[in-house]
Amino acid sequence: MTKNWWKHLILIVGTIVVLAPFYMMVSYSFKSPGEIDRGEGGFFGRQEMMVDPRCVALRQPNRADIEAARTRFTGQADTEIQAALLAEAEADCSMRPVVFNYSKAFTEAPLILYLLNGVIVTVSIFLIQTLVALPAAYALAKLKFWGREAVFGLVLFCLLIPVHAIALPLYIVLAKFGLTNTYAALIVPWTISVFGIFLMRQFFMTVPDDLIDAARMDGMTEFAIVWRVMLPTAVPALLAFAIFSIVAHWNDYFWPRIVVTGNRELFTPPLGLREFKGDGDGSFFGPMMATATIIVTPLIVAFLLAQRRFIEGITLSGMK
Amino acid sequence: MSGLQIDAVEKDFGETSVLKGVTLNINDGEFVSLVGPSGCGKSTLLRIIAGLETATRGTVSIDGTDVTHVRAADRNLSMVFQSYALYPHLTVAENIAVPLRMRQMSTTQRLPVVGGLIPGTGPLKRDISQAVRHAAEMLEIGALLDRKPGQLSGGQRQRVALGRALVRNPAAFLLDEPLSNLDAKLRVQTRAEIAQLHRKLKATFIYVTHDQVEAMTMSDRIAVMMGGEILQCAAPEVIYEDPNDIRVAEFIGSPKINILPLEHTNDGVVLLGRVLDWPMPAGMPHLMQLGLRPEALRLVEGPSKLRGRVVHFENLGSEIFAQVVLYDGDIRLTLRATPADRQRLSLGKEVSLEFELRSGLIFDTAGKRLRMAEVKTRAAKEVA
Repeated sequence: MTKNWWKHLILIVGTIVVLAPFYMMVSYSFKSPGEIDRGEGGFFGRQEMMVDPRCVALRQPNRADIEAARTRFTGQADTEIQAALLAEAEADCSMRPVVFNYSKAFTEAPLILYLLNGVIVTVSIFLIQTLVALPAAYALAKLKFWGREAVFGLVLFCLLIPVHAIALPLYIVLAKFGLTNTYAALIVPWTISVFGIFLMRQFFMTVPDDLIDAARMDGMTEFAIVWRVMLPTAVPALLAFAIFSIVAHWNDYFWPRIVVTGNRELFTPPLGLREFKGDGDGSFFGPMMATATIIVTPLIVAFLLAQRRFIEGITLSGMK
Repeated sequence: MSGLQIDAVEKDFGETSVLKGVTLNINDGEFVSLVGPSGCGKSTLLRIIAGLETATRGTVSIDGTDVTHVRAADRNLSMVFQSYALYPHLTVAENIAVPLRMRQMSTTQRLPVVGGLIPGTGPLKRDISQAVRHAAEMLEIGALLDRKPGQLSGGQRQRVALGRALVRNPAAFLLDEPLSNLDAKLRVQTRAEIAQLHRKLKATFIYVTHDQVEAMTMSDRIAVMMGGEILQCAAPEVIYEDPNDIRVAEFIGSPKINILPLEHTNDGVVLLGRVLDWPMPAGMPHLMQLGLRPEALRLVEGPSKLRGRVVHFENLGSEIFAQVVLYDGDIRLTLRATPADRQRLSLGKEVSLEFELRSGLIFDTAGKRLRMAEVKTRAAKEVA
């Protein structure tokens, strides 16, 4: 322990570097704008009641409001009624900073819709990737056919191609088919994952041949073997792939930004974050960080759950 | 239930020829063991019978129907694998049910929820679970039906694999070294159980093993394979007592048969420089080999045909195996003695050995059996 203090020091520094942005994100999502600007209030902020100036501005009483309120405030002058209404508005618009940030996150932009889009896109991508990768990986790992090594070589080759290099041709193809600003544009380019094929192939190589032969003797077709034997035994590997795939596409900003132009109905969560980008009317760091927190929470929860299943999957597989 | 015919089956893996024309007829209800050292092609032959490999040349027929180009799933054979190959994600009951589900239920009937709505699924499922329970009771694994293979011991997994094979009525059972992953004690027990199972089911069993004891104790017939060929296929006692080939004689029998050089000269038959009183017919080759089983040798007092010194000694309680190095030719012989002979055998002690001429097996230098040269054959002829 004492001998290894420097290792621990390096690990602690690394942890801080990784966790600091998350700390800032969560902390900002709790604090009032003033606390964020002044950099005070610790992690949670003081959570004093604050008034939302925009809310008050929107409820500024006009002539008609004063006339309508006259019955409640009998015998008072107009200015007094106006002041009373303003005080009511301020009371209604005051809230704790954490409530302000998180309610703003959902009301300022249709965050629920964005989250739903994110789920539709990432889940569709992952399902279709699985649908393609499992049979492909099975064929590459366990079936003997002419040209198998060449095909596997191509898979490895495709792993070397960076996404951004082929983004423009992909965009042009999608545009020619009139598919930009559709779910298809967000999903179709990612449905064949060579990484997925490679990962599953490597896992299938470790599945004993006897298991596949047993399945054949039991009357299964090759497709039945893929879905009834290989898929259940490959759950740990598939979970690992799911983490890669879902994190990558949930957090992807680059591709949705390219193929979704203007149509806010199709925005994914990272595109939604842009809505809080401080334009002329001041910064919205609190709600923005609240949105960011909401966006990453499902991933972290999913990862923690998957991690448990991941370990169970390995220890309970019962294979030699 | 039906017979199996393997006709001139050859198998090449690239340049190497693994099976060189194997012909074997297996009768309905017969227990045949394929036995041989590793790499002799016995597993490949079994996989060709199963349909998991295709033969390069030759045909496989089940009950007279040519199935050479029929895929494994449609051959109606069951197989038990060395590694058991249980589905790790299914319970024992589900594992045993798989062959029935895949064969009797349609794809839609197998679907989790929708399947239950299709008419006929319910009774079918009941039939299957009854068959599973029946198979499990036969193998005494009824209490394990809800467990996963990962929670079972090796012996229990082996039984589940057997259950999966016998839950339906296959044309034949193929067993690929099913006992080799069990510990010695369990192996002996399961050996007897498989033999009993065969008697009970009266089904055709083809059993691959490299363990000659398994082959000897369980089989109706043993096919001894070496170098991609069947050297001899006969009942266990024939294989042991009357082998056709020196390789069969050497492979079957533990400890191994003793081989001594034999010369046929003008003076008569010479064994290690000593002329034997051996009536050898004319036309026999000059050089031959004499095979003597360890039990054919016995200890004697005084001068004898073979003299040597005990160099190794194994007392198994019921019997004693001693290795004796002969003074002539530096040849090592294994001798089986009874416990009564124990004090006559100790390390370094000089011993005299005798054997009956009629118990010797004669082979030519290429290893083929020379029955004409043997004493007992001639004696039998003279009597006749």
